[in-house]
Amino acid sequence: MKQPDTKADTVQDRAAQETDCTQDTMSKSAVKISSDLLSNPLCEQDPSFLEMVMAFDTAMKRMDSFNQEKVNQIQKTVIEPLKKFSSVFPSLNMAVKRREQTLQDYKRLQSKVEKYEEKERTGPVLAKLHQAREELRPVKEDFEAKNKQLLEEMPKFYSSRIDYFKPSFESLVRAQVVYYTEMHKIFGDLTAQIDRPGLSDEQRERENEAKLSELRALSIVADD
Amino acid sequence: MASTHGAEPEADDAAKPEEAIYEEVISCEKMELSQRLAVKELITTEASYVHNIQLCVSDIRAHLQKKELPDLDLEGLFSNTDDILHVSRRFLKRLEATATQEHEQLLCISNLFQEFKEEMETVYKIYCASYEHALLLVESYRKDPRLQEEILETLKATVPHTGASDLSFFLVMPVQRVTKYPLLLGKILENTPTSASAYPALQAAVHAMAQVNANINEYKRRREVATKYNKAEHLTLRDRFARLNTHSIAKKTTRLSRLLMHEAGIVAKTEDKEYDDLEEKFQCVVSSVAMLKENVASYLGHLEALLVPTPHKHELQINEGPAQQYRCFAEHLHCTVLPEFKQRLDRLVCQPLCSLSDMLVGPQQLVKKRLDKLLDYEEMQERKSEMGSVTYDEEAAMNTYLAINALLVAELPQFNQVALQLLRQMLCSFSILQRDLAAQVLHQAEKDLQMPHGHMPLPSFWKMVEDTLRQSGTQIRTFCQVFETVTPSPVAQPLNPAEERKVLSLVSKHGPDKLYQVTSNISGSKDLDLTLQRGQIVALLQSVDTKGNTSRWLVDAGGPRGFVPAGKLQPYCPVQSQQPGMQIPTLETSTERRRHSYAIPEAPRPQVATFTPAFQVVAGFSFTARSPQEVSLQAGQQVVVLEPHDKKGSKEWSLVEVNGQRGYVPSSYLMTIPVQEPAGWSLPV
Repeated sequence: MKQPDTKADTVQDRAAQETDCTQDTMSKSAVKISSDLLSNPLCEQDPSFLEMVMAFDTAMKRMDSFNQEKVNQIQKTVIEPLKKFSSVFPSLNMAVKRREQTLQDYKRLQSKVEKYEEKERTGPVLAKLHQAREELRPVKEDFEAKNKQLLEEMPKFYSSRIDYFKPSFESLVRAQVVYYTEMHKIFGDLTAQIDRPGLSDEQRERENEAKLSELRALSIVADD
Repeated sequence: MASTHGAEPEADDAAKPEEAIYEEVISCEKMELSQRLAVKELITTEASYVHNIQLCVSDIRAHLQKKELPDLDLEGLFSNTDDILHVSRRFLKRLEATATQEHEQLLCISNLFQEFKEEMETVYKIYCASYEHALLLVESYRKDPRLQEEILETLKATVPHTGASDLSFFLVMPVQRVTKYPLLLGKILENTPTSASAYPALQAAVHAMAQVNANINEYKRRREVATKYNKAEHLTLRDRFARLNTHSIAKKTTRLSRLLMHEAGIVAKTEDKEYDDLEEKFQCVVSSVAMLKENVASYLGHLEALLVPTPHKHELQINEGPAQQYRCFAEHLHCTVLPEFKQRLDRLVCQPLCSLSDMLVGPQQLVKKRLDKLLDYEEMQERKSEMGSVTYDEEAAMNTYLAINALLVAELPQFNQVALQLLRQMLCSFSILQRDLAAQVLHQAEKDLQMPHGHMPLPSFWKMVEDTLRQSGTQIRTFCQVFETVTPSPVAQPLNPAEERKVLSLVSKHGPDKLYQVTSNISGSKDLDLTLQRGQIVALLQSVDTKGNTSRWLVDAGGPRGFVPAGKLQPYCPVQSQQPGMQIPTLETSTERRRHSYAIPEAPRPQVATFTPAFQVVAGFSFTARSPQEVSLQAGQQVVVLEPHDKKGSKEWSLVEVNGQRGYVPSSYLMTIPVQEPAGWSLPV
């Protein structure tokens, strides 16, 4: 019988990584970008810059709260069920071990019976044979029962995972869709407010380069 | 054409009116002639100038370029001569056109200069500022025989008629030309009567070109000062020590003392509000750029961390339905969407930010240097006021301060403004990047994922998920229980009748508390050792052997007596109703049970009955209630038997109380175990 508990770990890893750690810290570091800028005295100097940074900061903070919601939702609907599913494995493994033990006993007693069966049929041998058979019977039945049970239940359990995880996957997807929809809206609005949305990347790069050239032309800026 | 009116000296003899008039006429004519010559000179010199610059650019430079000499810095030598050429050509054309204007020519020329002055200033200041550097290059190339040869060869090939042996012959021309303009104009002006209509315009033109030259000089000086001080010096400690001499030490000491006097309030600081405001803003720019750079780098770092583990590689081995779709979706995100986002972020935000950060160094150095020079300046101001004058060096130092100060005051505003604009652009880019990322993720989701309840409104969706999960949670618990109830095979194997009888005899002889079961096969090695099978029951006689060894016990095996290792024995209790090793959560029928249980025969009961109730009833196995009359049991739980039979009198069910609940449980699921040693028990042997 294969050892099924390894799969549970990899699944747990994957889901955990999906939700907490990096995505959360990424959201937090995004908020840091805007809030640090907001607290810089540069904003006091220039009111239009302040306005822009404030709008930016608001957007980032809202995104962070949505991220938190998403994380919580995923915790409830993906991580928790996953943990529950994994919790079956220790019991399952124990059951498998016990079957194994019973199998060993069964084999041992079986060989003992066979040993006596092969011997010459004298009185004491027969008595011992009978006793051995008596010992064997319950163990054999025990093993067969355990075996049957595991053969029935394990596949049931294993195949239940598909249906079991369906809601988790749906939930994972939905949570992300909700999050990114919000993100799209928030930053779409922000861009409309502070920028000209229609610019292409090349145009932006050119604008940046133009400003940089302007700076380079100044004498106070050292030439490389 | 100048008018013939002129200021006439009044105190002339009436006797020489003709002479005076004649002289006047002559001087007027002379003036007019000179003027016309001066104008001609302006135009012809301009034409030859343009011609020479043309030669410089198209012939000499091109020729040298074709040679592709890596050591030759053509940019450094020729600077922006091609720009000068463009401007001068256009200027010449217009200048030549003024000749047709006749009476209006001077006015046209003046206006032309006014029109071109800004362009000229822009173009010439760059050239003049790098002229010194060009000369240095020429000098260094002169020292290199190979390069010098090449240069000479080119000159001979392109401009043999000039007989020039050096590039500087040509390179100096723009410098000379721009300074010539005010002089040429001045010559025209001096030959123009002040009453002429074009006089004011001409005068203005002269001033304008003089101003252009002044500006060019100022720019040149600032450029020099800037270049001298705007590089960050990376000196080792050794270098710094090498620089120390009495002069530098004295200088620094003076500065330091002045600084301290400022701080202590002994000496008034030179307040320059304009500069201070600029510097303050500049420092804000510096700090925000540094901070932004750090934060963006950290953000990028987290993004990269997100990209590292590849979730789609982890298998749940679900190859269909939502899981498969999700895997596909995640893969696309990791391979396409996120890397693209990272790239755009890099190009639109990170790189410009780094460039901006690098550019901060120059101004920072100058700010620092300005402070140093200011301290020197104040020092010298004092000395000047005391002694009336200062040395040449000191004067130069004072000028350096003034130059740096002027430079910073002139350029910092633009620097601050442009830097701010750049920051805005970067923030805008960041915002649009986030929006686009979201859009792409959603787009990918639409392509890859068709979730069955995708369009369900959010609250009902979450409720549905919650409910489903609760149900599956219960299912999981069931599975857990199922696997847990595959209990270990009891070491107590069902005893065959012979063994059972033996047990009873042992019990009667020694008491129930002396019974032990063999946990694993014992093979006796010594004389008095017993060989026993696992599962056999023995009674303890002594828990120590003849030599005092407590791990070797003397037991009665229901016939033979001998020693066995104590470690292979475990206490055994005779139970009222013993269960077989097979446990299945489904309730076995009582007939099955009876087949395997061995009812203790009535006969020994009286003796057994004197085991008075130092027994406890516990649940031997877990049982799940399936109807309201039943109650659930956990294996090992203590129960109180209220009635050892059900309402119909059947002994298969017992009414028990457990956990505060009452209900029926299968009697066979109950076990009686001794709680403590029954005190004062004795049995007649």
